[in-house]
Amino acid sequence: MFSTLAEQIINGIVTGSVYAIVAVGMTMIFGVLRAINFAHGEYYMLGTFGAWFAIDYLELSYEASIVVGILATIVIAYVVGRLVMQRMVGAPAEAGVLATLGIALILQNTVILVFGGGYKFFSGGYIEPVSVLGFTLAQQRMLILVVCLLVFIGLELMVTYSRMGKSMRAVSQNIECCEVVGIDVPQVVLRTFILGAALAALSGVLTAPVNVNVYGGMGELITFKTLPIIIMGGLGNVRGTFFAAMLLGIAESLVATYIGLQFRDTVGFVTLILTLMWRPYGLFSTEARF
Amino acid sequence: MSTLPILEISNLTKSYGAVKAVNDVSMHIDRGEICGLIGPNGSGKSTFFDCSTGLGRPDSGKVTLDGQDITGWSLNRIAREGRMLRSFQKTVVFKALDVEENLIIAGQMFTFPSLFSTFSLGRMSRQRVTALRERARELIRMAGLWDVRHMPAGNLSGGQQKLIQFASMLMPEPKIILLDEPMAGINPKIIERVVETIKYANKSLGVSFLVIEHNIDVVTSICERVVVLDQGRKLAEGTPQTIVQNQQVREAYLGG
Amino acid sequence: MSLTQTSRETPLAEPSLEVRRRDLRLPLGILVAIVALSAPFLIGSYALHAIIIALIFLLPAHGLNLLVGYTGLLSLAQAAFFGIGAYTAGLLAVHYGTPFYVNLVAAGLMAGLIALPLGIPALRLRATSFVMCTLGFVIIGQAIAKNWISVTRGDMGLSSIPKPFFALGPASFTVSGTTGFYYLTLAVAVLATLAVWAIVRSPAGRNMIAIRENETLAESVGVPTWRYKLIVFMLSAVFAGVGGSIYAHYLTVVSPLTFQMYYSTTMLIIVLGGGAGTISGVVFGSLLFVGLSEALRVAPELRMIAYGFCLLILVFWFKKGFAPLLNRFWSFVGGVK
Repeated sequence: MFSTLAEQIINGIVTGSVYAIVAVGMTMIFGVLRAINFAHGEYYMLGTFGAWFAIDYLELSYEASIVVGILATIVIAYVVGRLVMQRMVGAPAEAGVLATLGIALILQNTVILVFGGGYKFFSGGYIEPVSVLGFTLAQQRMLILVVCLLVFIGLELMVTYSRMGKSMRAVSQNIECCEVVGIDVPQVVLRTFILGAALAALSGVLTAPVNVNVYGGMGELITFKTLPIIIMGGLGNVRGTFFAAMLLGIAESLVATYIGLQFRDTVGFVTLILTLMWRPYGLFSTEARF
Repeated sequence: MSTLPILEISNLTKSYGAVKAVNDVSMHIDRGEICGLIGPNGSGKSTFFDCSTGLGRPDSGKVTLDGQDITGWSLNRIAREGRMLRSFQKTVVFKALDVEENLIIAGQMFTFPSLFSTFSLGRMSRQRVTALRERARELIRMAGLWDVRHMPAGNLSGGQQKLIQFASMLMPEPKIILLDEPMAGINPKIIERVVETIKYANKSLGVSFLVIEHNIDVVTSICERVVVLDQGRKLAEGTPQTIVQNQQVREAYLGG
Repeated sequence: MSLTQTSRETPLAEPSLEVRRRDLRLPLGILVAIVALSAPFLIGSYALHAIIIALIFLLPAHGLNLLVGYTGLLSLAQAAFFGIGAYTAGLLAVHYGTPFYVNLVAAGLMAGLIALPLGIPALRLRATSFVMCTLGFVIIGQAIAKNWISVTRGDMGLSSIPKPFFALGPASFTVSGTTGFYYLTLAVAVLATLAVWAIVRSPAGRNMIAIRENETLAESVGVPTWRYKLIVFMLSAVFAGVGGSIYAHYLTVVSPLTFQMYYSTTMLIIVLGGGAGTISGVVFGSLLFVGLSEALRVAPELRMIAYGFCLLILVFWFKKGFAPLLNRFWSFVGGVK
């Protein structure tokens, strides 16, 4: 009994790590743009598809496919960023919702149109089990955990010390002042957006061996999971997002085991609605950020 | 007529975090009076205003309007049931709607007995709207906005928008109006017109006023009594003449 | 809000002093009525099917227009209420064999009633959070439809929902065939359009616009904005529920896929593309965006891609949709130069 519980919690943490890497990009984009990116899960899907394409068509190794998947996503994100996201600076919140919804529709359905809507088998990855501290865990899951930690440590350092991190913080605090002191706001928006999309793609490529299935609609599901996370984490809050993602991952895992697998995908939105009622500014912020 | 003050605010306190924006302030406005509220920037005037009119919730204290305790009422209920109206520092009008529609909206909730009756298109409802339109036109003419009455309010000058806001507040025959810096950012010509409208509403319509104003000339010319706030506390109270000479008030302005 | 505008349909526009030409409203109305009534004889059955779908979608779109266009609340919840309406009508028809109009009214009421407890917490939220919350309703609705198997039969959904029939005492009458269904849908759509027109022209409609334009100012002149928003949210659900009931009867199947973002997105496109805050814009939008793509048999993926581009165009370049064009058309028809 206890060991199942512990196992479920660890599984939850792995799932949480997947969500966390996607959500952190979304929350950073919100930070600089004040807009929710409804298309964020699609970059997760694009990364996965890029890697799948690299393995199945180009016959590359999994390691190389990770690079291909992320690079392909970066190219697409650059185009979207230049054409759409940069225009959203200073636009009303509704405009952001609608524009990113439009992007999501275009990306998702183009992929379905090109590759077909069915499930595809993802063959790469490290699926050998390893034992750590008495728990057995697939290598791939270990990798996800480690990468997640590295990503968050890296982001934490970047936000605190690097020039780009500082300008990101500046833009998210006061966009008018940034223009006055000469920070190139559209440039910061574009870079943040590409970074966020690349992280989502990374998360997708890392998870693909665990999920095995790859399909065009997979991004939407991820978007729906990360939306509650970034709200619960307190929009724009990197650390809050990390904890919210872990909480959701664990909650989903427990619900799937003890209540029923079919209820797993609603955990996020139910928690979100309850959170919004109880603490409208998220679990980890005390002030209104949106 | 009763001698009770129209509006009485007692021991109002409101803090944001550790900062007490308004600290135990009490004041009253007599029936038919024009009372001024002055104080340096950040002295808590706006917070005091918001908490008295339902836009913010006071931490403690009591607001009594015409003998009725209205503490904790919402902004719309205070306006609708209490007939206490307020303006905003930044002039606001319904920009996309024309002047006449602006005024009709301002009067609607006072002529319709319930929320559901506003969904009616029946004869009663249409008659009510016609009556509102007539009253709106009367006020529009008075405010000198007749020629622009079908223009979208957002297309008019700042001064004209001020007048729309003012006329809107007169639609429901209010008991008391609270003005938040009515003269800020408008040209002297319009200032005169606003001063006159305030005096007219006060003398002929019997509306009481509480006015936040920085323009000391305006305050002296319209207010019978002035209350001074500084750092969230009431600093002084008296006729404009005594206030202008008050040493503490001078220091608050110069030192603040 | 930049997505909406006030049009000629702002309530009770005063007859202006501008030069008047001929008032073409009556002849135009008669022409439209003739075309609408004779459509089954003019076009093929597939095109008629496309128009039926467009008319069904018009209902939730009208509801959404009251929310987005007139009250300024962007919502993605329409699919949830559409689905609730479809399931309510389907369940009633399959289990109790109730006549069409009973199902229709029940579907509308059910959607409206469910909107009450959902709207109370959701409407406390600000713009972005409200949008997400309404999206949550769709996702939770789908989960319930999938998992409440004893009632909804899960993923299998409800099938063989009877064709609409009317019963009055001993007499009963079943609408079968595309033509019959077309007239039925047309009648409901016309009634719904008139209902929206009445709501918008009433003093409440003026208050709704006031809330959209500036909520705090509306509050300050005594408009109970929170209660209005709740009522409009419920009304929008009623329209969606009624639309859902017709949809269920038309397709004769209902599945959890009725709770899909696809429907919410389509309704958004209809309203924003046609012109939020105008009635004729929404009618035009549903014929254009749903009717036309249905008639051209566009593949669903291509249609969604097109919708995606439409959204981008609407947000950045064509902010008011077809509303300005329609406004010019209406002032031409109304005889104002």
